Amino acid sequence: MKRSGPLLTLLAGLLVGLFMLSLNATTGEKPTASYVKPSPSTKASPGTAPARTSAPPSPSPSRTPVPEGVYTGRTDDDSSAVAITVRDDKAIAYVCDGHNIESWLQGDVKDDGSLRLTGKGGASLDGKVKGTKEIRGTANVGSGSYAFTIDKTKKSSGLYRANSTVAGAKIEGGWIVLPDGEQVGILKRDGKPSPAPRIDPETGAVTVDGQQLTARPVTP
Amino acid sequence: MTVDPNAATQSWPSPEPGRRSGPARYLIPALVAAAVAVALGAYGKVHDPTGTAFNLAGFSSTGAVKSWLATVAFFFAIVQLVSALMVYGKLPGPSWSATLHRWSGRVAFLVAVPVAVHCLYALGFQSYESRVLWHSLLGCFFFGVFSAKMLLLRSERLPGWLLPIVGGLVFTALTILWLTSALWFFRTFGVTT
Repeated sequence: MKRSGPLLTLLAGLLVGLFMLSLNATTGEKPTASYVKPSPSTKASPGTAPARTSAPPSPSPSRTPVPEGVYTGRTDDDSSAVAITVRDDKAIAYVCDGHNIESWLQGDVKDDGSLRLTGKGGASLDGKVKGTKEIRGTANVGSGSYAFTIDKTKKSSGLYRANSTVAGAKIEGGWIVLPDGEQVGILKRDGKPSPAPRIDPETGAVTVDGQQLTARPVTP
Repeated sequence: MTVDPNAATQSWPSPEPGRRSGPARYLIPALVAAAVAVALGAYGKVHDPTGTAFNLAGFSSTGAVKSWLATVAFFFAIVQLVSALMVYGKLPGPSWSATLHRWSGRVAFLVAVPVAVHCLYALGFQSYESRVLWHSLLGCFFFGVFSAKMLLLRSERLPGWLLPIVGGLVFTALTILWLTSALWFFRTFGVTT
């Protein structure tokens, strides 16, 4: 065979891909040092091209306690919305009624798939993952207790935050974009809460008192 | 590694067909490219995204790992463009520019593979906003057209414009992939490790 170099390059890429896939499937998503840089196989590619064509390993369900992502939904009493973003073993949550009750909560994800988050003013949130796409729990914000069951969104984010200063007032905004596109948010001007204007979920752009701000996806 | 895959190709038309018949030289790479792209897209669509996968120690998130790997790939892609211009004599270059082209391409490709594996395994083929849709489409297209480029390199007597066009498609695809992912990541979350 002449000019086998390009073929070997493709084969090496295929092998690296299959290797990474099997790593993912076997180790789940524990952040470990088992990740291997592809460079060794780069070096090996011209000489050795194993003719191994093993089938891609069937991906097993993820083993993390709580799959990473954004979970959004309404509370059981339909009064408020809850969003939780999970990344690695940390979580950040926002509970908001869209008028004057809101709380940001943060904490760790435990190995058994439960999370206990805390926020300012004694706010707390207890949750537990059910299956791979659902978190069930209770949030205690202010004097109220809200039970909720929220689902993982397909989108990369459903929880946004903006901090800025407009016309001398300190602006803090939080938004939950629900799967049906509805938004629940509160905008505080110097600490005074009011319903938040809509953000553009594509870009996070929002106009506050005539000034354009950008709300960012929230991660722990 | 004795034959230079980037040797200048002869001009169309080739009077006598080589060992492989004429149309097959183009048809096979094109079909392989289509198969690769469709297979990746189908896997990304059918496979239920896990939301996450491996992480690299020292990085805050898989997104950061991917963004940096993609940036490395994009850097080598620029090396690709420059060295290709040298090989074709459009830029003055050293005698080893062909070797540089080969190896920078290999590195770029092999660095891009883990990123793609993560994309497909953890995120899947998505279309909820135009950035994501374009990224998904071009991601599949990139590995398809790259396969075609590799296979075309094995043919002799290609029309002289063919490799630059296909190579240009590979480069353009990777550039847009980087813009719609790593650059977006750095702009959204900050230049973080």
